[in-house]
Amino acid sequence: MYQVQELTKIYDMGKVKVKALEGVSFTVPDGDMLAIMGRSGSGKSTLLRQMGLLDQPTSGRILLDGREVSRLPERERAKLRLRHLGYVFQEYALLGELTAHQNVYLPGMMLGEADNYRERARELLELVGLGERINHYPKELSGGEQQRVAIARALINRPRVLLADEPCANLDTISSAMVMETLVRLNRELGVTVIFVSHDPDDRKYAQSVLVLSDGRIAQRSGQVK
Amino acid sequence: MSRSFRVASLLAASSIRQGSLGVTLLIILILALVGLNLLFVPGLLGGLVSGANEKVIQTYTADIVVESRRESMLIRDVDRLISRIEAIRGVIAATPRIKLGAELSFDDERTGAVIYGIRPEREKRVFTIHQSLIEGSYLEPGDRDGILLGIQLAGADQPDIELYYRSLRRVHAGDRITVTYASGLEKKYIVRGVFHTEYIQTDLEAFVVEKELRAANPLPPDHAASIHVNIAPNADIRSIAAQIGSLRDDLKILTWEDYAGIVRSMTGSFTVIKAILNVVNLLVAGITIFIVTYIDVVNRRRQIGIQRAIGITPGSITLAYLMRATFYAVTGIIVASLAFKYLVVPLEARYPFHFPFGDVFLRAELWDMLRTALILLSTALAAAFIPVRAVMRVKILDAIWSS
Ligand SMILES: Nc1ncnc2c1ncn2[C@@H]1O[C@H](COP(=O)(O)OP(=O)(O)OP(=O)(O)O)[C@@H](O)[C@H]1O
Ligand SMILES: [Mg+2]
Repeated sequence: MYQVQELTKIYDMGKVKVKALEGVSFTVPDGDMLAIMGRSGSGKSTLLRQMGLLDQPTSGRILLDGREVSRLPERERAKLRLRHLGYVFQEYALLGELTAHQNVYLPGMMLGEADNYRERARELLELVGLGERINHYPKELSGGEQQRVAIARALINRPRVLLADEPCANLDTISSAMVMETLVRLNRELGVTVIFVSHDPDDRKYAQSVLVLSDGRIAQRSGQVK
Repeated sequence: MSRSFRVASLLAASSIRQGSLGVTLLIILILALVGLNLLFVPGLLGGLVSGANEKVIQTYTADIVVESRRESMLIRDVDRLISRIEAIRGVIAATPRIKLGAELSFDDERTGAVIYGIRPEREKRVFTIHQSLIEGSYLEPGDRDGILLGIQLAGADQPDIELYYRSLRRVHAGDRITVTYASGLEKKYIVRGVFHTEYIQTDLEAFVVEKELRAANPLPPDHAASIHVNIAPNADIRSIAAQIGSLRDDLKILTWEDYAGIVRSMTGSFTVIKAILNVVNLLVAGITIFIVTYIDVVNRRRQIGIQRAIGITPGSITLAYLMRATFYAVTGIIVASLAFKYLVVPLEARYPFHFPFGDVFLRAELWDMLRTALILLSTALAAAFIPVRAVMRVKILDAIWSS
């Protein structure tokens, strides 16, 4: 269970201060598939980064299973990211010098809990439909394929939550549909909580819950999210 | 730890494999040149010192010098002492010398010198002076009219020798020179030969046979000023010196090292030069690795941000860069060592550097190579660490999302 309480994020740019989030509160139950929507600049990415523990909020709290996680030191947050959270970035964020296979198993190697991370990475690549391309480098893959590798990478350590920031922003409709359907399958078949950002109203159809942001505040909510 | 190590190896290996080959070769080339420089100076110094030491031993002192503690400064009962010295295990030969101050003159030139009375057959078994003749021949045992001159005394029409203008300048084998002994006795000798050992102290010496020096001067019989002892290459000089010392209690035993003061002072100044050159060299190596790592880290800010975002620890990422720096440094060291040992040293052996005590040959010593490797490696690691450390301090957010 993810709880966001009175979250405020102000970007301090010296003279200018940008208020990206203001008093945002909501709760995501386990196994939910949540879409965060809103116009450009409404604060979607900012919210996801706070939830993904990639940044620290100006005020407010984030609780993961009741434990306050947003104020932990970076070392602790890195451990949580590695073990419990999978993050898929808006831009393709693969490591260019590693093959698809290596990109996927790297976090598994880092966590080092099981030695079968290579095998598991192969399975995950098959799951996202890239079983044939495991030894390809990112530059040899299309945008959609790269994004699916990124999803496989986010899943290597069996995270409880997958956070995806506009995973289809740079993709055509067919690739987008494949990526979104991959996320849906993960949610349904593996029970992973999926939180994704989108500004395409059409993507509501993949979600069980929807949160709409407007100027850093929640403008509308529906589904299981409270 | 082993996890971090595995992750770091993967990151380091793929960054080297996927990186530009040209850049990699260039970095290795620079480090190899720095390594060569680091090897060259101690190599030269090593060659210099050992070359000088060899000259001192082979032409000036032999391995061990025996002198007298007595007031007369003369060793008595020489013949018996010599046979007892030669009976010691590891001693090859011993030769006694007597000496007298004298003035040498030829035409208008005159110069002071110490004249040694020697036993030619024994001398040849202790010193190599007889192999350094540039004119004429060595003294025969019964030769009462002959004298042997070092080139710094004879001059031999070679104005480029160090002390030519203090020498007799134009003396050659076959010339007659006049010797005025400190006793006032004046005698003419025929110059049998001129030698050039390239060690100045030796090249300032003059030799006549012992019998002649005794005949020309009232010296006590069976006495010597010094005895020079040649020992086997692998013999223990300390132990032999101690054994000679215990033969009689009126002896003063010195080893060649006690005479090598010039070499020591030279070593001192070379150590300073070496230190300065090494600092410059290491700065070059350090700055090279620093720039390479810095540019790399700046170019990969985003990649590093992503690595951190997906949970790769800063320790692993740093370790990956250190491993890469190690790869460059170790490869550079290997290239440098091979080039030094198989290219520079043989080449220099063919065209040696010339010094006042002869040709100097570079030496490739394992210890120097190891030390160079260690120094270069530490420099590379420190230089790589600084920029990586700096980028680890940047917030993940800024690393990934700001240009
Ligand atoms: N790193 C940053 N530094 C300063 N201001 C920022 C930063 N990131 C975002 N902002 C500002 O915060 C506000 C919210 O940005 P955010 O990226 O969260 O919007 P978004 O909803 O994801 O937009 P988009 O749909 O275009 O991705 C914007 O006004 C943006 O300019
Ligand atoms: Mg965004």
